[in-house]
Amino acid sequence: MTEKKTLPSGHSQILQMEMHGITKRFPGVVANFKVDFDVRAGEVHALLGENGAGKSTLMKVLYGMYQPDEGQIKLDGTPVTIHSPVDSIKQGIGMIHQHFMLVESLTVAENVALGMPSTRGPLTDLKKVSARIYELAEIYGLRVDPDAYVWQLAVGQQQRVEIIKALYRGAALLILDEPTAVLTPQEVDEFFVTMRQMVTDGHALIFISHKLHEVLDISNRVSVLRDGEMIGTIPTQGATKTQLAEMMVGRPLGEIKIRQQSKTSQTRLVLQDVCSQSDRGTPALKNVSFEVCAGEILGVAGVSGNGQKELAEVITGMRPVTSGKIILDTQDVTGKSPKVLMGRSLSYIPEERMRDGMIKEFTVAENLILREHDQMPFSRRGFLDLKAISEHSEGLIQDYNVKTPSLETTVKSLSGGNIQKLVLAREISRRPHTLIAAQPTRGLDIGATEYVHHRLLEQREAGTATLLISEDLDEIMALSDRIAVIFEGEIMGVVPRDQATAEQIGLLMAGVAETAAK
Amino acid sequence: MIDQLFTEAVLVGILASGIRLATPYLYASIGETLSQRSGVLNLGVEGQMLLGAFTAFYITFTTGNLWLGVLAAMFVGLLMGLAMAFVTINLQAEQGISGIGFYLFGLGMSDLLFQKMLGTVATVSGFRPIHIPWLSDLPIIGKILFSQNILVYGAYLLVAVTWFVLNKTTLGLKIKAVGESPQAADSLGVSVSRIRYLTVSVGGMLSGLAGASLSIALLNVFQQNMTSGLGFIAVALVYFGGWRPFAVMGGALLFSMVNSLQLWVQVLNIPIPSDFAVMMPYVLTIIALVITVQRVRPPSALTKPFERGH
Amino acid sequence: MFSNKIKMILLLVLVALLISACGGTEEAATPEVFKVAVVMPSAINDLAFSQSMYDALLGIQTEMGAENFEFVYSESMFVVDDAAAAIRDYASQGYNLIIAHGSQYGSSLQEIAPDFPETSFAWGTTVDTFGLPNVFAYEARSEEGGYVMGVMAAMLSESGIIGVVGPIETGDAKLYVDGFAAGVAATNDAAQVNSNWIGSFSDVALASEAAQTHIGAGADVMTGTAQMVVGAVGVAEENGVLWFGTQSSQTSLAPSIVVANQVYRWEVVLNEMIELIKGGTYGGQSFLITLENGGLVIDYNPAFTLPAEVTEAAGAAIDGIIDGSIKVTP
Repeated sequence: MTEKKTLPSGHSQILQMEMHGITKRFPGVVANFKVDFDVRAGEVHALLGENGAGKSTLMKVLYGMYQPDEGQIKLDGTPVTIHSPVDSIKQGIGMIHQHFMLVESLTVAENVALGMPSTRGPLTDLKKVSARIYELAEIYGLRVDPDAYVWQLAVGQQQRVEIIKALYRGAALLILDEPTAVLTPQEVDEFFVTMRQMVTDGHALIFISHKLHEVLDISNRVSVLRDGEMIGTIPTQGATKTQLAEMMVGRPLGEIKIRQQSKTSQTRLVLQDVCSQSDRGTPALKNVSFEVCAGEILGVAGVSGNGQKELAEVITGMRPVTSGKIILDTQDVTGKSPKVLMGRSLSYIPEERMRDGMIKEFTVAENLILREHDQMPFSRRGFLDLKAISEHSEGLIQDYNVKTPSLETTVKSLSGGNIQKLVLAREISRRPHTLIAAQPTRGLDIGATEYVHHRLLEQREAGTATLLISEDLDEIMALSDRIAVIFEGEIMGVVPRDQATAEQIGLLMAGVAETAAK
Repeated sequence: MIDQLFTEAVLVGILASGIRLATPYLYASIGETLSQRSGVLNLGVEGQMLLGAFTAFYITFTTGNLWLGVLAAMFVGLLMGLAMAFVTINLQAEQGISGIGFYLFGLGMSDLLFQKMLGTVATVSGFRPIHIPWLSDLPIIGKILFSQNILVYGAYLLVAVTWFVLNKTTLGLKIKAVGESPQAADSLGVSVSRIRYLTVSVGGMLSGLAGASLSIALLNVFQQNMTSGLGFIAVALVYFGGWRPFAVMGGALLFSMVNSLQLWVQVLNIPIPSDFAVMMPYVLTIIALVITVQRVRPPSALTKPFERGH
Repeated sequence: MFSNKIKMILLLVLVALLISACGGTEEAATPEVFKVAVVMPSAINDLAFSQSMYDALLGIQTEMGAENFEFVYSESMFVVDDAAAAIRDYASQGYNLIIAHGSQYGSSLQEIAPDFPETSFAWGTTVDTFGLPNVFAYEARSEEGGYVMGVMAAMLSESGIIGVVGPIETGDAKLYVDGFAAGVAATNDAAQVNSNWIGSFSDVALASEAAQTHIGAGADVMTGTAQMVVGAVGVAEENGVLWFGTQSSQTSLAPSIVVANQVYRWEVVLNEMIELIKGGTYGGQSFLITLENGGLVIDYNPAFTLPAEVTEAAGAAIDGIIDGSIKVTP
């Protein structure tokens, strides 16, 4: 074993962390089964797996948030017991959570100081903390203003605060839980620079992601978890996307092929200078204009919270328009209620599928006829025709491959992927002219995501005009015919897919408009 | 007739009375500020005050020792606070409903104890105004500021201390973090439930003290339901002050002084119907609240129980 | 877990309600006993309105003997709906007379009384029986005692400024204060009466500040009505300002400064009602307690030395009201 170095942060290294035979059971589920995992100083070890594969559980065990039922954790060869995050922090383990653990109303320095002993006893020592933040920022190239309030910071800056927080606590090993999910491509690049710097300095990094190209780009080794078990650990050098995806899913995946766009001039959905307000009464959409034609997918890219939610709600009639016009199939539908709009063959796959898409206390069959429950053939003179309903539902469940114990099962007990299949089944089976799909694959695993993509493309072939709102740029790039980028409620530009590059879209997502001169 | 309001005697009266009347509000709403800053809404303040008021009165009445009365009131308030903490933190009960439960408990219990242990309205000799040499003799200011009893001074000192704790200490940092983002605090090893236990019990203790300031410092008497909604006004003042101690104090002073002003309006026979006069403090407070509400934002985790892993 | 929480809360609320509602516990017994139930807005020991009724019932019980007269009470029924429920409960339990002691209970009584034609109800303070054959009404001519107090106050005041602390400008409180002001005006028309209506029957702190305000405005004699005035009495004592009480005797609160109290002796009208009920008349009449029928009594504080001419003037005022030479119009 090599000599232990002192890290630039002044703390000592963790040369090797090993987890042996970790098993963690929850009532009815084995989340981790005899998992071995290790990470060494000076490397990025990526941990891959679908949702529910057990990545988070494994990391929470390492960070002391869960206690393993079996197995052992060793730091530099010595077995350790980690009872709580406090213990793991003491041992030099830090974790950057997917959802930032920052107190927005406090300053950067206050967030960093929180929970740490102060040199002034009961009084805070924010000046010293600030000085130390400047020091760390200097060493690791993480520019932040210690006196800024967290709510004032952009997402990328908040992430830097999280890293500084961990470094301030002496983290030698950092667990990064899907750190790139919320970043623009440019921010991801910057973040990777920081990661490489930390690795060079002798930190050990665990990188959790489901974006295969990022994993291939940044890591030294990759481990894949599936159904709570370790499938294997391979060096990144020489690994391919297909290979990793198949390890994750356990079967070969089909390729997504986009056929040449079937040129059509039939405009289905037009927005003209649409403005709208957020729930707080601030402007959420500013003069949004675009059109979607039959047989095309218009992707709306953007970083979370830039008006995507309001955009979907305005089009589906759930949020009032303050000015501008919405035209659906040549008719002005501005200000019409969702019920009227749905009658015009507009279908909607909502972002919050559990809240807006389904009534989770209702059964599968009830949810499938939510839209048409008061129409023939499901309803006759105000009475539900249960036979017609169950025949209709049975058919959809088979067509859309929904795994449910019965039609009478309540939706809340199904998995996320199956719930989304139900939403798709209900919305697509109506053969809509126009389809609004908001974050249709958020939180779904690779298999379910692949399914949703397949269905959306099928609709495109069938001539549906689709508006795809997604924060996953890879998804937008893979499916769209044209890409509109939304930033602070404004459409920064609309670019045809074959002319778009990730860099260009990324700049637009960050609000940089000049390069969008097209 | 309106010009009668602008005489020295009246202005001194209004200011001195406002400062005095604000005392129980201050203890209660500063306690509530601490509790809400950590994310717990305590609507049981009124009940805690009533029990505190009775305890302080009864102990002073039977032992003649004012400080023993104060301590007993604080202790009873502390017990009520601990119970509230247990119900809202361990059992994760809905905070608003539990608070109302504790209010009814305090109301009923103080009345029952009053009937069984005292039996009739009586008086005690409470805290006397402190004469501070030289300062108390100053014209105008002396009467307004320096002729009050010790519990009045204590209330204003408490405001400063609370401001200091919230803004200058590591404990204050933890309280604010727990109220804004318990998940973040927990991930850094700050015990959410320990901090909330602390603030809710200290809040209860201060509510008990607020009751004592009524029964053995300002009024020297106990009457059933004597707080008469004062505890609920105290909760409203916390919102009014945007969860900041000095702004809460400003609200308490505004409310009390306008209340005192309306008493003078009536006494000076200014022709405003008494029904309108008694509305003045409430109307003004609502107007002030509407004007200020734009910039205030409650602690994000207020009324939300904390569970790890969510 | 969820249901446990709910249970816990329910339990708390129940305990609280139980405690706040527990009033009289004496049980009704043999049929020949005359049984009275009373519902009151404040506590039986409020040194004011509710206590005046409680003391009257105690007096009747002592006189008639506990074996012949029983009474139960529900106190602190400031929520009218709760009071209505209590009234209905008592009615269905077969009490002979149910007293709704508070004008706010009127509309509840108007609804309930017709359902129990064999039960007698009484409510006050008012003169309105709703034309129902089983409802009595009772009221105090508190302006009479108020007038007498006003005469004394005007004579005792050196500054000529007199302060009044009241709850809400209506009903019994208004009658008393109007009478008091008339008494002052009749004795010294230069004297000034300042009234402060604080808008609450329970806000002791505000009553106390109202008294401070009066003193600040130069008052050296004060009076007040309703249960929250105990706060004002304390302030008066601290500042050596004289005090006149009403409804019940407040002498015990501040023996050094209470001059006299107008005390209500409801037993005068209650005895009449009891006789009527025994004779088969269940209502339809209204009663007044006055200085003349002994229902209103001026109770002097023996510890307070009153100048002879003041006592004389008070006596003259009482006589004048009784013989009709002084008219105190409400």
